[in-house]
Amino acid sequence: MSFSVEPLNAETVVIRVGKALDFRNAAEFKAICQEQVQTGVRNFILDFSETGILDSTGLGAIFSLYRQVSPRNGQVVFASVSRPVQVVVQLTRTYKVFRQFPTVEAAQEALQQT
Amino acid sequence: MARYSILVVEDEHTLRRLLEYRLSKYYRVRSAANGEEALQLVLEEIPDLIISDIMMPKMDGFALQQALQSRKETRAIPFIFLTAKADEHSRMRGMRMGVDDYITKPFDIDQLLARIERLLERTKYFQTQLDARIGQDFSKKLMPKQLPSVPGYRLYFHNSPKEYGGGDFFDWTQHPSGSFFITIGDVMGKGLQAKFYAFSFLSYIRGTLYAMLQTAQSPAELLRRVNHVLMQDTVMEETFASLLILRWDPTTHEITYANAGHCRPILVKDRQTAEVVEYSDLILGLDSNATFQDATITIPAGGGLLLYTDGLMEQRTASGEMIGEQGLCELAPKMVGAEDPVQTLLQGILSRCNTDTFDDDILFFWMERLS
Repeated sequence: MSFSVEPLNAETVVIRVGKALDFRNAAEFKAICQEQVQTGVRNFILDFSETGILDSTGLGAIFSLYRQVSPRNGQVVFASVSRPVQVVVQLTRTYKVFRQFPTVEAAQEALQQT
Repeated sequence: MARYSILVVEDEHTLRRLLEYRLSKYYRVRSAANGEEALQLVLEEIPDLIISDIMMPKMDGFALQQALQSRKETRAIPFIFLTAKADEHSRMRGMRMGVDDYITKPFDIDQLLARIERLLERTKYFQTQLDARIGQDFSKKLMPKQLPSVPGYRLYFHNSPKEYGGGDFFDWTQHPSGSFFITIGDVMGKGLQAKFYAFSFLSYIRGTLYAMLQTAQSPAELLRRVNHVLMQDTVMEETFASLLILRWDPTTHEITYANAGHCRPILVKDRQTAEVVEYSDLILGLDSNATFQDATITIPAGGGLLLYTDGLMEQRTASGEMIGEQGLCELAPKMVGAEDPVQTLLQGILSRCNTDTFDDDILFFWMERLS
């Protein structure tokens, strides 16, 4: 399993993205998120601390998640963004949509306040 | 990767359980006690392969095979007969009906596993070949057949898609005023699906562009409209794309562009210096309120502009780092005046890598203003 899911409360989970999110495991990522959405989760904290590869298919999977949760006022936020992930986020200007936090805890705190 | 699914059809309880147990180490296994039950399971989910006994109550193996052959969606499922009837008559009957393999009881389970593997491999091979053929056909349709011929400029285009490539596309059109509209983009995803969406998406862009050029010529406005379509149309719901649109006027050498999260172009000023064309906005398909801006640059005499997709920039060098914008800024100036600018860039990149091939689809467009 490339991803681990850690529930914080009924509406929020942390997903540890692991070493890579790319065309090889993007379908698995989508399925895992889908399961969470179906149980009522709408806030996702994606932990990128160990992530060395994020390709366009992987990013597309994150976008799908965003489009699913945003009509429910849900959020997708990034935590501990590694340098390779930062490059992709800069290039696609997606930092305009996904808030970034230095740690999972900081992301959690910010989500609790909204 | 999802595991292959196998359907075991066998009326003898012990043998059925044994097959289930041994096969489930490698495959997803479902089982049925006769042909009737099996047909029901096949209709619920089509398996990748069926192993069936011949002699069974209610519906035997021959009848099951016949029923599957009569439906086009089940006709191609690889089928192995497993039977105590070792006589030549049954074997011939099975073969004539299109059974792929035939194993007589008692049998060696490792032999059965080997045959299953071989059959699945063959089926996968055919599927892959078919996908590659369709994919190549799409790839060709996503690229222009020729480039414009413009006095004072030389233009080059290079595209080498990988077998399983993604949704890169490139297109150009000329406005009656003499300016050109150039479009380069990448629909997210890999394989046939990305190609298919890229193809649909390019049609959207062309349609929007042709309709809009009657009244407006702003690349940013065009991006706004295309983004609107992506956000509204349920067919394109899962489509996210980076897109760069440029309006190029060869008489003033001005380029007005808007960039929706696409790889940033490299502006080459002379044979030594290049810089990244900075301004860019959000990728398409994410936010219906996204805004886009036009920006303008000028191509200097003896300079040029390099447009490309991510495969070029993400190529890994010998040190494991990506070539990146920085690498391209160092290599692109060497294209100016080169006899073959395409090869100059490709060789320049590969000389920094440990390999002589690219990892991903490569697409780039080079426009050089003569000095």
